[in-house]
Amino acid sequence: MTRDWWKHMLLILGTIIVLAPFYMMVSYSFKSPGEIDRGEGGFFGRQEMMIDPRCVALRQPGRADIDAARNRFPGEDDAGIQAALLAETEATCSMRPVVFNYSKAFTEAPLVLYLLNGVIVTVSIFLIQVVVALPAAYALAKLKFWGREAVFALVLFCLLIPVHAIALPLYIGLAKLGLTNTYAALVVPWTISVFGIFLMRQFFMTVPDDLIDAARMDGMAEFAIVWRVMLPTAIPALLAFAIFSVVAHWNDYFWPRIVVTGNRDLFTPPLGLREFKGDGDGSFFGPMMATATVIVTPLIVAFLLAQRRFIEGITLSGMK
Amino acid sequence: MAVVDPSIASVAKARPDNRQARAGWGLVTPALTLMGLILLVPIVVAGVLSFTNYSLGNPGFDWVGVQNYERLFTRSTYEKMFVATFKYVVTVVPISVGLGLGAALLVHSLGRLGDIYKTIYFLPVMATLLAMAIAWEFMLHPTIGMVNRTLEMACGTWFEALPFFANGCAEGFPLWLGDRDYAIWVVCFIGIWQGFGFNMVLFLAGLTSVHRELYHAAEMDGARSAWERFRLVTWPALGPTTVFVVTISCIRAFQVFDTIEAFWPQGGGPNKSAYVMMFAIFEKGIQQNLIGIGSAITMLFLVFVMFLTLIQRWLVERKVHY
Amino acid sequence: MSGLHIASVTKDFGETPVLKGVTLDVKDGEFISLVGPSGCGKSTLLRIIAGLEAPTSGTVTIGGTDVTQVRAADRNLSMVFQSYALYPHLTVAENIAVPLQMRQMTALQRLPVLGGLMPGAQTQKQDIAKAVRHAATMLEIATLLDRKPGQLSGGQRQRVALGRALVRDPAAFLLDEPLSNLDAKLRVQTRSEIAELHRSLKATFIYVTHDQVEAMTMSDRIAVMMGGEILQCAAPDVIYEDPDDIRVAEFIGSPKINILPVERNGAELTVFGQVLSSRFSVDSPQIMQMGLRPEALRLTQSAPRLIGRVVHFENLGAEVFAQVALDSDGSRVTLRAMPAQRQSLVLGTQVGLTFDLSAAMMFDADGTRLRRVEVAANRAPEVA
Repeated sequence: MTRDWWKHMLLILGTIIVLAPFYMMVSYSFKSPGEIDRGEGGFFGRQEMMIDPRCVALRQPGRADIDAARNRFPGEDDAGIQAALLAETEATCSMRPVVFNYSKAFTEAPLVLYLLNGVIVTVSIFLIQVVVALPAAYALAKLKFWGREAVFALVLFCLLIPVHAIALPLYIGLAKLGLTNTYAALVVPWTISVFGIFLMRQFFMTVPDDLIDAARMDGMAEFAIVWRVMLPTAIPALLAFAIFSVVAHWNDYFWPRIVVTGNRDLFTPPLGLREFKGDGDGSFFGPMMATATVIVTPLIVAFLLAQRRFIEGITLSGMK
Repeated sequence: MAVVDPSIASVAKARPDNRQARAGWGLVTPALTLMGLILLVPIVVAGVLSFTNYSLGNPGFDWVGVQNYERLFTRSTYEKMFVATFKYVVTVVPISVGLGLGAALLVHSLGRLGDIYKTIYFLPVMATLLAMAIAWEFMLHPTIGMVNRTLEMACGTWFEALPFFANGCAEGFPLWLGDRDYAIWVVCFIGIWQGFGFNMVLFLAGLTSVHRELYHAAEMDGARSAWERFRLVTWPALGPTTVFVVTISCIRAFQVFDTIEAFWPQGGGPNKSAYVMMFAIFEKGIQQNLIGIGSAITMLFLVFVMFLTLIQRWLVERKVHY
Repeated sequence: MSGLHIASVTKDFGETPVLKGVTLDVKDGEFISLVGPSGCGKSTLLRIIAGLEAPTSGTVTIGGTDVTQVRAADRNLSMVFQSYALYPHLTVAENIAVPLQMRQMTALQRLPVLGGLMPGAQTQKQDIAKAVRHAATMLEIATLLDRKPGQLSGGQRQRVALGRALVRDPAAFLLDEPLSNLDAKLRVQTRSEIAELHRSLKATFIYVTHDQVEAMTMSDRIAVMMGGEILQCAAPDVIYEDPDDIRVAEFIGSPKINILPVERNGAELTVFGQVLSSRFSVDSPQIMQMGLRPEALRLTQSAPRLIGRVVHFENLGAEVFAQVALDSDGSRVTLRAMPAQRQSLVLGTQVGLTFDLSAAMMFDADGTRLRRVEVAANRAPEVA
């Protein structure tokens, strides 16, 4: 331990740099605009009551409000009633900065919808990938048929192609089909995971033939074998692949940016955040960081809970 | 029971192979179709369109020969694109691989105590890059950002002896993202920040597979220093891992986009100093609807990436025969 | 000149003591085996001698110098590892050359390309190549010098590991179960080759094994270890015929030695009620254990000392072993017999067994040998 102190020094320095933006992101999501501007308040900010200027502006008491409130403030003249009403508005519009930031994050833009879109897109991508890749992987690993080697060679070739790189022709195709700004556009290019086929095939190679022969003796067709025999044996590998796939597509920004233009209802979380940044002025740092925190948190929490599985899943590509 | 109808026997003999073939093709077909439609056809399409002046919405197009490619290699915009991409790849790959290896060696030598660092260094890999890019943008804000605030604290101390601090304290610290001398390097830094944890984890996996007795053998053979043991045992054992890590880092570096788009939605940085290839494809092909030139960049990009992967496969094949 | 001395070495892993004060003298040129069941601490002891592990207390002396604080690289010892631990990226020749390069060439000379330009590097290289060739010829692997370890069979790898150990002239060779990864046939062959190597090199060998046959066939002396202690260290025939401890007697010898309970009532010494000696006068414990090797038992019709039924029978060709369940308490004894006696050992038959009291070893209840009792029992034979 004492001998290793220099190692800890170096690693702790690294830790500070690695964690700095996370620290800042979470910290800003707690602070009031003033505290962010002046750089004060420590990590949590002072959490003094603050008044939301927009809220007040929206509820500026008009003539009708003053008339309506007249009997609540007997003996006050108009100016007095207006002042009293203004004070009431300010009271309802004042809140702790942390409440302000997070409520703004969810009300200023439909963040819940964005998160829901993120879930829909990542889950459907993963499910379709499995439905397509698993049978192919089984056939390539365990069935003898003419042309199998050629198909596998093609799979190996396609492993070379990064989907992001061919975004432009894919976009043209989808535009021609009139599919841009649909869920389909977000999902379609990812339905085929060549890597998934390759990975599951390598996994199925290790499953003993006897298991499949036993299933055939029990009268199962090949298609049934895939789902009723191979799928259950592949759960650990599939779990790793699921993590790999979900993390990649939850965090993906490039592809949604291309195929979703303008239609807010289809925004995935990163697009929503981008939108927020685009139209926010300086005073929106707090809510924006709250949004960023909300988007980043699910994966980080899942990662901290199941570190081993996540590292396994994300580094899957290293097992080639 | 003992009597088997000869016709059934012959059918049973012939069928399994046929049935397997039919089932095999049946199971492979959906994947093959999608592979063709989503991966292979687009490459052909991009290849064809790169020789045209096509735009979405136009009824037809003209063949323009190699004009698009010629532009790529003559226009200064694209020269800036190549320079920025090259700078990014050449900076990010060696540093993120080196830091990944260094961190892996340190973490590995600390045993279980090192796991906490492993977790922390892996966080940027998990986090949405776009969100973190925005966080970095705040950190690097010229006036209220944490980075410049921290640097300002050094003013008035002996740090001011360094020219960088002297300059910064007198005239203000750099604008970072707004400064064309710094912009691409800041993007590089964020790329390294995000990627080295991934490399570290891959190296750690490689390190755990090194047989411990090899280190003892090296000690018995007279390898006295940590460096000698590293050269004799660790480094050769990490060979295949290193090849893989370098390739995947290269491919990831080539694809940098999120940070650039987050910082400079228009134009790719001050004076196009961070105008990388993916951003160029996005801007030319999709925003400006210049499909021909976008396709040409796409083709070039694919050539780079495939070339790298093929080199990696070749190197690994060669090393496999231990 | 380069004898080895290990003085009251202990080793704890956390709370667990692995070695509980081991003292051992190894003479120059001696072949000594450390044998014992797994977990007895024999490998730990070897690694402490090598310097790969530091003892909790005690000292290791090589050739008169205390090396307890000296690191492994500087102890001038060679080691052959159980997994062979060959460098997978180096050829056989390069593997064997490593210890010489590390010791004889400077760090500068070892640099990949520049090194060749350093003064003296070329002659050094030639000397090393010559030494490598010599070692390879001795082990008959000269034809494999350009291969990588991955392309070799288990036996060939084992030889390369040996070659790497004997290419230089170490104070002692340490071998950690070097044969355990070989198949049975190759093991027998390599066993005799290592023994021959020892005779021709006249070097000190310390050999760790869990296989008593290896220990018995190769060593000058055997140190039997159990529970972190050396129970006995002596020549193989002494260990077999005259063990100090019942655990040694039980560990060495196959089939295992038979242990029978012996009782003393006054001057009478009995086994299952059968009187062995009736004029026994030496002070001894009431209950003792008697060890009888399978070859000490013989079949008899007249006045058997033990009676039982044959329950199992193994024919090994040159000899036969029979297990007999004793009528007295059902416990089994193993008997070695000549093939000619087969017909009297049919399964299920009742047989009578006897033995010479001089071949019996007596132990107390804790397993310590009682030589005094044996002498007394022999001197006062039963009045038949």
